Amino acid sequence: MALTDVKPTRSELINLKKKIKLSERGYNILKMKRDGLILEFFKVLEDAKEIRGEMLEKYDRAFEMVALANTVEGAIGVKAAAMAVKESPTLDLKKKNIMGVVVPDIESQAVRKTLAERGYGVLGTTSVIDETATAFEELVDAIINAAQMETTMKRLLDEIESTKRRVNALEFKVIPELKEAGDFIKMRLDEMERDELVRLKKIKAKNA
Amino acid sequence: MEIAVVGNSEFIIGFQLAGIQMTYPADDDEKLKDVVTKLLENENVAILVIKGSDMQRLPPRLRIALEESVTPTVVAIGAEEGGITMRERIIKAMGVDLWK
Repeated sequence: MALTDVKPTRSELINLKKKIKLSERGYNILKMKRDGLILEFFKVLEDAKEIRGEMLEKYDRAFEMVALANTVEGAIGVKAAAMAVKESPTLDLKKKNIMGVVVPDIESQAVRKTLAERGYGVLGTTSVIDETATAFEELVDAIINAAQMETTMKRLLDEIESTKRRVNALEFKVIPELKEAGDFIKMRLDEMERDELVRLKKIKAKNA
Repeated sequence: MEIAVVGNSEFIIGFQLAGIQMTYPADDDEKLKDVVTKLLENENVAILVIKGSDMQRLPPRLRIALEESVTPTVVAIGAEEGGITMRERIIKAMGVDLWK
């Protein structure tokens, strides 16, 4: 708010005082929210790092295995085995709310399967296929873990950023400007009062 | 709900072996975009798995939609994360590099 826009009246001063009070309350609450979010972020940070590393490791291994399987069985053989697998892992996706940030909460069932559950014939394929399937089941497990963790992190970070921005805007822009406007009005009102006093004195002197 | 995997045929074959039914081959950029857009609206998908390098091939607007989406939750795997990496995000939000 530019100072030229401010009308130096008493009612404006009262309004400004109300606004300052409200902004300060908002500022305190947002500051608490920011700190809370940062705490929450630190809680997931370590786990997320670990899970990401684990997922990458499993990813490398799984793709190494599939390359091996392609070499041993041929691309068609791997494809045939893959087509035979019918049991698919099911998930339950819920939403969780951390201080107004909606994050996914995922529960998984039946990712790992036994040899019999996989569906392809044991005799027709080599053990490389089994190992590849196991490697991928492990990878899927890791992905499910990582999905929840990473989205939580991303959303928390975005929220921290915007809350930080709001806190700073209030602290360094909104509240100082309001205070400045309030001081300006107070000064103008005092000035007008003095004007009035002098005027009265002059009129009195003239009449006497 | 299920896991969906999008990528080239080499990428999805392994996931088929792990029992995932919703695998979608997408070899060129146009197809990739179409498939991802459709999957984003599919309510039966809980997690969408995509290769990091494929993620980078998507148009920026779609990539942002993927990064922000909760249902489905999108996971980019592989060495390249695609889009803004977690480290960059942390530096942007916190001001320090905590991803070590």
